[in-house]
Amino acid sequence: MVKKIFLILLLVNTLEASSFETNCASCHNSFPVEIDKFLYRYILKYSSEKSVKVALTEYFKNPTKEKSVMPEPFILRFGIKKSSDLNNTELKNAIDDYWLMYKIEGTLF
Amino acid sequence: MDTNLSHSEKRTLKNFVALYALLSFSILLLISILYLNVERDLMLRKKQVLLEEYAKELIQKLKYVHINLDKTRKYPRSENYKSAIFDSSKNLIFSTLKNRKVNLDDKLYKTENIIHFIKQPSSYYLGSYYVVVEIVDDELWLNGVYKKLFIYAGSLFFIFLIVGYFLSRLFLRPMREAIEMLERFIQDTTHELNTPISTINMNIEMLDSKRLDDRSKTKIERIKIASQTLSHLYDDLSFLLLNHKVISNDEKFDLKELIEQRLNYFEQIANVKKVSLNFICNKEQSIVIDKKKITKLLDNLISNAIKYNKISGDVTVVLDEHAIVIKDTGQGIKKRDLKAVFDRFERFNYAQGGFGIGLHIVNVIAKEYSLNIDIESKENVGTEVVITW
Repeated sequence: MVKKIFLILLLVNTLEASSFETNCASCHNSFPVEIDKFLYRYILKYSSEKSVKVALTEYFKNPTKEKSVMPEPFILRFGIKKSSDLNNTELKNAIDDYWLMYKIEGTLF
Repeated sequence: MDTNLSHSEKRTLKNFVALYALLSFSILLLISILYLNVERDLMLRKKQVLLEEYAKELIQKLKYVHINLDKTRKYPRSENYKSAIFDSSKNLIFSTLKNRKVNLDDKLYKTENIIHFIKQPSSYYLGSYYVVVEIVDDELWLNGVYKKLFIYAGSLFFIFLIVGYFLSRLFLRPMREAIEMLERFIQDTTHELNTPISTINMNIEMLDSKRLDDRSKTKIERIKIASQTLSHLYDDLSFLLLNHKVISNDEKFDLKELIEQRLNYFEQIANVKKVSLNFICNKEQSIVIDKKKITKLLDNLISNAIKYNKISGDVTVVLDEHAIVIKDTGQGIKKRDLKAVFDRFERFNYAQGGFGIGLHIVNVIAKEYSLNIDIESKENVGTEVVITW
């Protein structure tokens, strides 16, 4: 029984973790600009985890040129992404994973 | 005449000077604290230029790390300062600070010997909304400030004290003049009393009581008592005026005999108030003392015990080993007044006559011969004076 619960939890976690992998990283991997660079630009503009996540969520739901943190030449070349089809929970999980994966805090020495 | 106002004057003077000194000290302390704060702010402003430079340097280094995050994540350090970075939610990102307690709402401040400077960069490299630069203050400036404070505040305090002393003397002058006037008045009155009292006493003694009828005898007795009271007052005043000029003539004598003699002397005065005088001798003994002075001491205590007694009350004198106890059944003395009973001209009962010098004389004599005097009193019950040696 315990084994089954553990396996279910592991499966759920794997599915959640894959939200970022499936919906974000899969496309960005083929992108000329690495995915972590976007987060560093967000950090440069919004500083804290909370502010960055709020800005990311707003951008994904309604991406505009004004909300983008990327420079003008980048937007001219690659344009603005489409609105995200993810629901709120999926989007939140994807952003949380993204933050955890590439955050600066705790990685400096 | 010894004005002896110095006791109360000194006490008032001491209280005034103490209060004045405390006030002056408090003002100087407040000024010193303000001055210290001004000097500290001045020092911080001077350091701010340097700290701004360090902060700029650090931000440049943070920028470099931010741009090259995929190559290095080594936080920039310097020998000149320690630093830390916080995000916009005031969460610590990284710190090399010695003092981890940082007040991000203040721009520049000093805690103990640590100075913190907080700068907000225009771009948040590595998420740094707040950049904190920390340096150690050698506090050399503080030595100079303390030296100045010690010299200036010390000098000012000394000047304040001198001014305070002269001010207090100025304020006390009217009191001193009033007391001196009173002393002069008593001196003159005493001098004028001498001849009439002597004349009355002499003439009463010369009267042949056998040739007088009963009514005249009673009248003469009353005059005698009044004259005795006046004599007693005259003696007290004379003692007060001449005490320090008279050399004590100590001799050995029997105390029991002296007490009996003094009780006899006061018998007539006691009879007027129907006060009964009792004497209990538990231990016969001799003492070496100036007889006139111990007589004066006993007279004042017995006289008070009679004067402030109730009608038909009791006065009991007990002679014990190295102790004389004088008890009365009078109105007693209030607890708060007990401390001042020996003060000159101090009176707590204006219903009876007197100048308030009796117990002062008792105290002067007791001090001269190192006698201890304890007074216990209960209002409306009585007073007990215990003299021990």
